[in-house]
Amino acid sequence: MRSWLRVFFVGGLIAYRGLFNWLRPAHYFPTMLAHPMFQILFFAYLGRSVNAQSDAFYVVGNAVQVSAMAGVYGMAITIGGERWTQTLGPLMATPASRLAIFLGRALPNLVQGLIVSTFGFCVGRLLLDFHPAPGSLPALALILLTTVASCTAFGMVIGAFGLRLRDSFLVANPAYFLMLLFCGVNVPLAVLPTWMSTISSYLPLTHGIAAAREVAAGASLGSVSGLVGTEALIGLCYAVAAYLFLRFFEEESRRRATLDRM
Amino acid sequence: MKQLMRSALFVFTSLIEPLIMATIAFYTAKAGGKPEALFYMAIGAGVMGIWSSTLFGSGGVISWQRWEGTLELLVASPPPLLVIVVPLTIATATIGIYSLSATLLWGWLLFDIPFHLAHPLLFVIALPAGVISMGLLGLLIAATFVLYREANALSNMLEFPIALVTGLLFTTALLPDWTHPIGWVLAPTWAVNAIRESALGGSPGMAIVLCLVLGAAYVVLASWFLRVLEVKAREKATLSLA
Amino acid sequence: MGVIEAHELRRTYRTSTGTFRRKSLDVEAVRGVTFAVESGELFGLLGPNGAGKTTTIKMLITLLIPTSGTARVLGHDVVKDAREVRRRIGYVFGGDRGLYDRLSGLDNLRYFAELYAVPPREMRRRIGELLDLVGLAGRENERVEGYSRGMRQRLHIARGLLHDPPVVFLDEPTIGVDPVGARELRATIAQLVEAGKTVLLTTHYMFEADQLCNRIAVISQGEIVAEGTPADLKANVSEGGVVEIEVFGIDEPAVQRLRAIEGVRSVGVEPREQAQVLVVQTDGRELTHALLVPLDGAQVGRVSVREPTLEDAYVALVRES
Repeated sequence: MRSWLRVFFVGGLIAYRGLFNWLRPAHYFPTMLAHPMFQILFFAYLGRSVNAQSDAFYVVGNAVQVSAMAGVYGMAITIGGERWTQTLGPLMATPASRLAIFLGRALPNLVQGLIVSTFGFCVGRLLLDFHPAPGSLPALALILLTTVASCTAFGMVIGAFGLRLRDSFLVANPAYFLMLLFCGVNVPLAVLPTWMSTISSYLPLTHGIAAAREVAAGASLGSVSGLVGTEALIGLCYAVAAYLFLRFFEEESRRRATLDRM
Repeated sequence: MKQLMRSALFVFTSLIEPLIMATIAFYTAKAGGKPEALFYMAIGAGVMGIWSSTLFGSGGVISWQRWEGTLELLVASPPPLLVIVVPLTIATATIGIYSLSATLLWGWLLFDIPFHLAHPLLFVIALPAGVISMGLLGLLIAATFVLYREANALSNMLEFPIALVTGLLFTTALLPDWTHPIGWVLAPTWAVNAIRESALGGSPGMAIVLCLVLGAAYVVLASWFLRVLEVKAREKATLSLA
Repeated sequence: MGVIEAHELRRTYRTSTGTFRRKSLDVEAVRGVTFAVESGELFGLLGPNGAGKTTTIKMLITLLIPTSGTARVLGHDVVKDAREVRRRIGYVFGGDRGLYDRLSGLDNLRYFAELYAVPPREMRRRIGELLDLVGLAGRENERVEGYSRGMRQRLHIARGLLHDPPVVFLDEPTIGVDPVGARELRATIAQLVEAGKTVLLTTHYMFEADQLCNRIAVISQGEIVAEGTPADLKANVSEGGVVEIEVFGIDEPAVQRLRAIEGVRSVGVEPREQAQVLVVQTDGRELTHALLVPLDGAQVGRVSVREPTLEDAYVALVRES
């Protein structure tokens, strides 16, 4: 048990440092901070230009979504990146629990996602017309935690596919952009055609963002508990799916020798 | 060029990403109850696509060359780096034209956005002028990539700020005044202006001229830059580090 | 019971060619390999590239599932008991990759130490010892991306030994390493056996197998064509002799005529600059004159007769298969 935890915490962190190549300041600031900031500003102004939604709408939506920089891109790199370093063989030759190995990388990404989102919220608060209701911060924090976790779980699935495909960004990039469209980040679900909003309800972020918007406007945590619960459940499903995919890919690679093929 | 086409990621960036952005823009415009803004946005989204593929292409090309180890060979080879990079950059900008067409088609098919050109002749001039000037800006940016490995991270970051400052999807009047001069020296500002004016009915002449002037300026700057950076890169040995 | 037991291991790959009309080809990389390694042995799997060495070793270390056949390491089945096998083996493969470039050598070792469940208390000590053993002490805090090929290889070895496994698998460990470094690596490998470990080594360097191994299995095209101690294998050819004839311009019919001579076991043609050297393995009788007759008409240079070496044995075995 102790070694499982060590692989999860210590191992997860070491692997994260080894694979996540945006940690250096030169990378970190543009990618994890500047890019989210400009994204928030861009969509807020877009909304302003046609009087679509309030600043708050865009700030909450995008500030939560930018956690996908870590949740989706970060996971794509820290799992899918194994293919690049060709360390998958050595990893699979160890007796360590696969769950501990991969889940362990989710934790630093989760923390990173929270940092990026929080920064996004601050940007919105300082530069745009976003004023969360007083006292809503603890509730927002909890919703954010749940949503970022669910996004990271989603990213785990993406990372798993990154192990299989040549380029982990192949799935990560579309995913990030489709989130902008589908999860109610920039376009209210009511405006989307039914088939699209149906897809949205199965994606991470959708319910969390809706809950966050209500709470920022003054609603109580209790009133959005259903949404938060759903978000958590969605996240759990993705996490389970990711684990199953990873085990499947491992077995398949043992059977078909696809482990090291670039 | 072929290498780029083979990269599924590039295909995504040039084709699908602008469509997604366009869709978001269209829905936003609809939600705002300003349907006439749709055509305006359609063009803007298309130009965004051109810009994205240019940026990704230039940055990607250099990074790939570096990765493949051919960057050093290129620098060492007889024709100056400039001559090799220019056609590549223009090629990626041309691919961007596909994304403009795709966006307009998309808008017409799914959102009933009418497509009619007020000044077709001027449009035909404005489009290449805009595309070329954007391509050359991409070249200038690519010049910095020769030296810095971290370029890709920066290029990821540039999409939104430039879209903001150059008024692609909405007028820059919304932004604080101090940002305007930044937009004036960037090609996309005039490119989108030229294309839009010729499509919607206005006077794109000035914008077209500015596109070409800026384009020329970029070439001069870029070749100077490349020469300086080539020497520096050889000194600092960053050419080969993948 | 042997420490490593392979029984009729087979492994088939399915490859497909073409983009549109994919054709599947079944390639049998390993065709019924059987051998056993005893405790404390240094066993060599010797064969040319593509013979199936890496595939065999991958099956033994649980990274590949055999198409048929079984294998056990320390009594545990490599398919059914994979985790137990992984706990007890170390594996080292050659190559530049397989390490986290952005991390230091030390961090790489720490990570795998966690994965191999090395007790935290012991970790520092063991890592220190291993760094000393492979000669990387003092360089461990540098990023792996700056390591030379030889240094990476040594780090691979250190990694394979982190959890003090009783069985160690080495896949072409000295390939691409400079001669001095390779010699040090071989010394390290020999030390492992002295320390009581069981080692299985794959290589295509004859002299390496000869020098290091207690026993060798020669593998060619997926099958074991000979097995025994280096002395045994040499004995197979030692009653014979080798005649080397330098010729300038020989044709196939002439070579066939040579092969037909009684007492000739095999004829190999090796290009050497502008000439060719015919390496004729004989069963020991005096054949030099007989050999020169069919060569009448060709330009003949030096002729020498010598004792067969392990390399000749190997070449003969591989060529026959």
